[in-house]
Amino acid sequence: MAIDLKAIEQLATDQSSLKAAAGLAKPGKWSGVGMSRDGALVWGECSGSGANPYRVMADLRNLGNKCTCPSRKFPCKHVLGLLWLHAEAIVPFAPADTPEWVSDWLGRRRTSASAPKTASSDAPVEAKDVRAAQVAEPEVPEDPKAAARREAAAAKRSEDTERAILDALDALEQWVGDQLRLGLAAFIDDATARCRRIAARLVDGKAAVLAGRIDELPGRLLALPTGDRPRGAVVELGKLVLLARAFRAAPRDAEIRRAVATSESRETVLANPDTSRVNACWEVLAEQAQTRRDGLVSQTTWLLNLGEAGPRFATLLDYFPASAGRRGSVFTPGERFRGELAFYPSQQPLRALLVERDTAEEAAAPDWSTPAWPTTEAAVVDALNRPLIAEPWTLEVPVLLPAGRIALDDTGQAWWRAADGAAILPVAGDAEGLLRGTDLMQTAALWSGNRLAILAAQTRWGRIGCHG
Amino acid sequence: MAEAIYDAMGAVLTRWTMGAAAAPAASPWRAELGAEPAEAELRLLALTGQFLGVAVTADPPVGLRTLPDVPGLALPTVPEALRPLVRRILAATKATELLPFLAARGWTAHPADWMPAPNDEDIPDVYAPWRDWVAAAAAGSARRRVEDGLTAENWDDYWPAARKAALTELRRRDPGAARALLAVKLANEGADVRLRLVGLLAVGLSDADIPYLEDITATDRAPKVKALGESLLARLGRGPAAGAEAAELAGFFPVQVKGLLRRSRVIQFETLKTPAQRVRRTALFEVVDIAAFARALKISPEELIAAWTWDVDRQADAALVALVARTGTDALVTRAADAVSQCDAVGLQNLAALAPRLTAGQRSALAAKVLHASSCSFDMAKAIAGAMARLDDPLAAPAGAALLEALGHGDAGPADQVAELYGLGLVASRMGARRALERLNGAGLLQGDPRLDMLRLNAALDDNGARE
Repeated sequence: MAIDLKAIEQLATDQSSLKAAAGLAKPGKWSGVGMSRDGALVWGECSGSGANPYRVMADLRNLGNKCTCPSRKFPCKHVLGLLWLHAEAIVPFAPADTPEWVSDWLGRRRTSASAPKTASSDAPVEAKDVRAAQVAEPEVPEDPKAAARREAAAAKRSEDTERAILDALDALEQWVGDQLRLGLAAFIDDATARCRRIAARLVDGKAAVLAGRIDELPGRLLALPTGDRPRGAVVELGKLVLLARAFRAAPRDAEIRRAVATSESRETVLANPDTSRVNACWEVLAEQAQTRRDGLVSQTTWLLNLGEAGPRFATLLDYFPASAGRRGSVFTPGERFRGELAFYPSQQPLRALLVERDTAEEAAAPDWSTPAWPTTEAAVVDALNRPLIAEPWTLEVPVLLPAGRIALDDTGQAWWRAADGAAILPVAGDAEGLLRGTDLMQTAALWSGNRLAILAAQTRWGRIGCHG
Repeated sequence: MAEAIYDAMGAVLTRWTMGAAAAPAASPWRAELGAEPAEAELRLLALTGQFLGVAVTADPPVGLRTLPDVPGLALPTVPEALRPLVRRILAATKATELLPFLAARGWTAHPADWMPAPNDEDIPDVYAPWRDWVAAAAAGSARRRVEDGLTAENWDDYWPAARKAALTELRRRDPGAARALLAVKLANEGADVRLRLVGLLAVGLSDADIPYLEDITATDRAPKVKALGESLLARLGRGPAAGAEAAELAGFFPVQVKGLLRRSRVIQFETLKTPAQRVRRTALFEVVDIAAFARALKISPEELIAAWTWDVDRQADAALVALVARTGTDALVTRAADAVSQCDAVGLQNLAALAPRLTAGQRSALAAKVLHASSCSFDMAKAIAGAMARLDDPLAAPAGAALLEALGHGDAGPADQVAELYGLGLVASRMGARRALERLNGAGLLQGDPRLDMLRLNAALDDNGARE
């Protein structure tokens, strides 16, 4: 089915969308581009500002479309870019089986989606022109004085921010001391309201990441058995004190700043010479989406490096507003792909950005789609504690456990027990179904210091997932 | 040192829980905490949190138990590549329809995708080991693994689902041995179990079962078991002497003779004047058997079916069909199904009540017949044929033309015809599914359309099952 630039021009909401789409209509921005065998559907993955590429899909029969990006423009620049790629045949759209994420979208589409929405008929129609969108704007040489002024302003802003954060951390420590003085029993009973208050103060103090963490603290606390909550509160509040002091000791440390204030942008991470890039085969262990109290949905993808080189685990972390509606999953748990990840600079690299994903190889290389996972570290306790000792404010660490099995106590609480008896760890939530009834040859899990959340396991029944 | 810290933790936690200063109780860390009270509390909190988070994990209780392995089944699990499709269908539809389809093709679901509940009765017997595993897991006990066939001696070593499956198999192979086993063991079981096991006598029912069934109807404590015994006896022409009720029921259906030369009998329908009469007629259908009803009309059961005027009184049609399904001989059920297959679309629904009494081959043939000869929908054909229809060209039927026309409407939505497409997917043979997919794609349905999931699964799944 053919589509031309005129149709894309009509579909775009404004000239800036067209301009952005023209910038995206380049082969290097895209991976996994394909087309259904009947030529009606096109799809592709486009790298954006988030950790994951955006999944973009369109129905050429009626120009219905969907993108996993958080943009409120419909269609977004990624959809327009994909259509542009197709219209101009900039990359080949190979006929292929429709991916599951495209089928899922088709199943969810409302009837009204079949009628394409061009620019709203009520609003005055802004003139749009694909040719103008393609024109590269000339770079204006910057005045050296203006550059100096800009740099000075940035330095002043950074200083102000640091001062604000330090003040906010003082308030946090004061607040933590108050909770101890008033009693943790009362804190546990009133955790939501109390945490909300200090989180608001931290937001004012530009410590937004820390504020988000404290907002989620009551949820983590209430997930513990009642008798374990005082201990849990001590661990959580203790980590806050440690983090506050680490920030005071090294306010410019990117890793600590990431845990308190804000993360570097994708561009900054990619441009940083300390960023480690790892090209490997990855397995998607699990995807976790959580709606936070601040109205954002955090989407965490846990990846396992199937090769021996580089960090064993990686997390891709994206945020988008809950009000943007269901975003759809970027990955399917269990899927494997070869790709390059850029790890945020860190003592123990874990958080990463997906730079490139080679889906062509995914189909062509069945040798690494076999169920083998990398060798498991023998010393379980060491693997659990090492990251928590290095970065004591860390909330959870991924681990690859050796052979074990789920055991149950009298109350039905599940425990993971190593086959050699070297470790017995309490499992978070219910380990249900097959997980309880088979040997776990290897288990990938998150250890939070007191509970093990199982992500996936290798068994004689093959890989079994526990989240999503 | 660690011991001393650990010993101090109890007092520290207690003090903080109550709101008292804890630093005085943490003597091992006195030097690290310093002299300033507020600062000492924060330092103690950081140290305590780290100690509890890293060095202390919950003690496993004594008596942890592991559940036995989820047993392997007699059929393989569906190929790995098809599991996502199976999961999606299971999430959208009833397992009791998909699982018999898979079993008829020689496959089972993967235990990570689906596990039964202990009381899932309407699933294929091949899953009996999993049902028993779930029951054992819930009960926290296990029985001896039995390798030999079911006997009176090892009866109690079997879990209920496996026992029922073994008894079904024994009844098929050696009806007399199965009956003898029931005669010895049935009295010790609960009413629900007795009802299910007596129902197994329907397989290979013969005159040899009469004495045992008469014993059940005379001595069993449960009215439902008695009623089932009576209905099985009725199928053998030994229904209860419900003379008065049969005569009263016959009063609603006077037989008339029509035709001058070829005089044939026709059953009339008395006009019901009050709701009470209708209720009474319904009640009478439930207490008589078909042989007694026919006797009261002074015709044979076969003549009764032939003389019945269908599609005039829907309620009477349904009651008669239920009566035949409950008390008719196999031959009479076949004859009734043949008669009902001539009915209009609404009347055809009665075939679903007769279907369980027919063989898989009869059900398949009947579904093919009504599909091609009437306005029977695929959804209805699915109810008639169950999992074994295997129709090679279902779209050639009127339902196929109706489906294609409905899908071709300009206002057809993406969620339209879901039930029909699913029914089509269940009744088609593998070749039929492939053909249907081609035609539907040709008619404009996208290959990735999730409404085609069942057809896609059908087309992709090897047929390992035996055709009856």
